[in-house]
Amino acid sequence: MAPDLGNTQQWMQAVILHPGSDREAVASPKARKLVPASQFPRLIRPSRTLDSFDRIGIYRGMYLARLQEALEADFPGLLHFLGRKRFSELVRGYVDRYPSRSYTLNRLGDRLPDYIRSSPGIVRQDFLHELARFELLMSRLFDAEESPVLTPEAIAAVPPESWETARLKPIAALSVEVLRYPVGAYLEAVRQGKTCPGTRRKNHWAVVYRRQYALRWLDLSRPAYRLLHALVSGVPLGDALSSVLKGGRQPVGEVQLFSWFRGWVTEGLFQAVELEDPA
Amino acid sequence: MGRNRWNLPDLGFGIGLRTVHYSYILANHPPIDWFEVLSENYMDTGGRPLYVLDQVAERYPVVLHGVSMSVGSTDPLNLDYLKKLKALADRTRAHWVSDHLCWTGVSGINVHDLLPMPYTDESLRYTIERVKAVSEILERPLVLENPSTYLEFGTSTWSEVDFLSTLAQEADCGILLDVNNVYVSCFNHGLDPDAFIDRVPADRVVQYHLAGHTHKGTHILDTHSDYVIDEVWSLYRRSCRRTGGVATLLEWDENIPSFEVVHAEALKARRHRGLPEPDLKRAYGT
Ligand SMILES: [Fe+2]
Repeated sequence: MAPDLGNTQQWMQAVILHPGSDREAVASPKARKLVPASQFPRLIRPSRTLDSFDRIGIYRGMYLARLQEALEADFPGLLHFLGRKRFSELVRGYVDRYPSRSYTLNRLGDRLPDYIRSSPGIVRQDFLHELARFELLMSRLFDAEESPVLTPEAIAAVPPESWETARLKPIAALSVEVLRYPVGAYLEAVRQGKTCPGTRRKNHWAVVYRRQYALRWLDLSRPAYRLLHALVSGVPLGDALSSVLKGGRQPVGEVQLFSWFRGWVTEGLFQAVELEDPA
Repeated sequence: MGRNRWNLPDLGFGIGLRTVHYSYILANHPPIDWFEVLSENYMDTGGRPLYVLDQVAERYPVVLHGVSMSVGSTDPLNLDYLKKLKALADRTRAHWVSDHLCWTGVSGINVHDLLPMPYTDESLRYTIERVKAVSEILERPLVLENPSTYLEFGTSTWSEVDFLSTLAQEADCGILLDVNNVYVSCFNHGLDPDAFIDRVPADRVVQYHLAGHTHKGTHILDTHSDYVIDEVWSLYRRSCRRTGGVATLLEWDENIPSFEVVHAEALKARRHRGLPEPDLKRAYGT
């Protein structure tokens, strides 16, 4: 009996997704259950020039090529570090475990950092995990909502007595990060075709954000990170400042604090000052 | 002179909106008739792509063209996707929304390819209902393109062109006739492309696609990587004689040359429709 539409589609997808050769894919238990191997040449007609395996093989080849191309565009740092062959192997393993479930290829890499962390046998696993996480963050920020940017006029309009309890609303395309490897510098070197810096462990802090539709990042000192992290988490300005002034090993002067703050405002990291409801 | 049954306008000669041309378009506002936009690239972003699209839609007529509707799939329709697609169509005042006569995956998986349908009574009945449902959700007629295909199912009892034509009539949808795809599929399956063109119902055709391809000797791949070949221009002329000519779009997706080169290739279609080719140098002020 001829397979129905649902069966035909399940079968063809099983064959396309199978990681082995065309013949192994058609003979795989999943495919055979839907269409017995003996029926295959009748289900997929040969052409004048190609047999049934060649014809389904075209779709199988295009599948992996298309997914790899999408991931190469989103993870240029990983591609550079691994080289095309090892990147290809990574993609094969990844899409076998996490086939795309989205209507857009932009979401294909969402689980790549998790996959790298949980897969045995990946060299420099820690570094690659962080690099993948950073590249994924960049593509999320690329697509984040565009926010208005806090203006000098809006700042001037805040009554001086309100600053203590005011909260600063960050733009949507922003993330404050604790990093263990110099992945930002590595990625920048790859993008600019320069020699890549070392990839040894180096704890540091950074804010990654989008300004005028371009992605950027700024390295932060540890106290600057603590202040910015508190602010973007919604801690009122007074509390955030005093925790940084009091806490931490490195003492921070007020002048320093205000210079950071001015720099962040100028860089457009905030969209609004939210004042406490007077009621 | 044929006129499509919805009186959808002949937008002229456009090209696909591609990232590599963004800066050029924003800086120069080139004198092009219209743009076709890949829907999925603008559905989940608030970043530069959407900003560019808004600028483009402000100045030029726009049509949405998708690859993930999966109208022929036995999976349930993705309502979230369709809702976003409709919102994007409203936002850009798209003249119409198109996708392909194909399926892209089942069991929630997306293979990200335009997979061929078996042309059977069962799949025809099924697809008619799906197209009707989609048109209702989108609140506009859906326009479906014939994809390039690389295999034929032994279970098919319809030809592709009759399947597509019957679907269009029964589900009341439009046809985006990709003339290059007609050529590619007919070569791959040993069919006569003229006969294909002659059987398409002229009043259903609201748009043409033209593109280059890659000939592999044993088969042709639809790569959109080159100039349109003479045989495809000849099919285009043949079809225009039947439809009277409708909105025409050139696709170029690999090794994309400069905007002017892609635009000039699209404008060759004017000659094939018997219209004068504009002086591009003057149009571009160079
Ligand atoms: Fe097309």
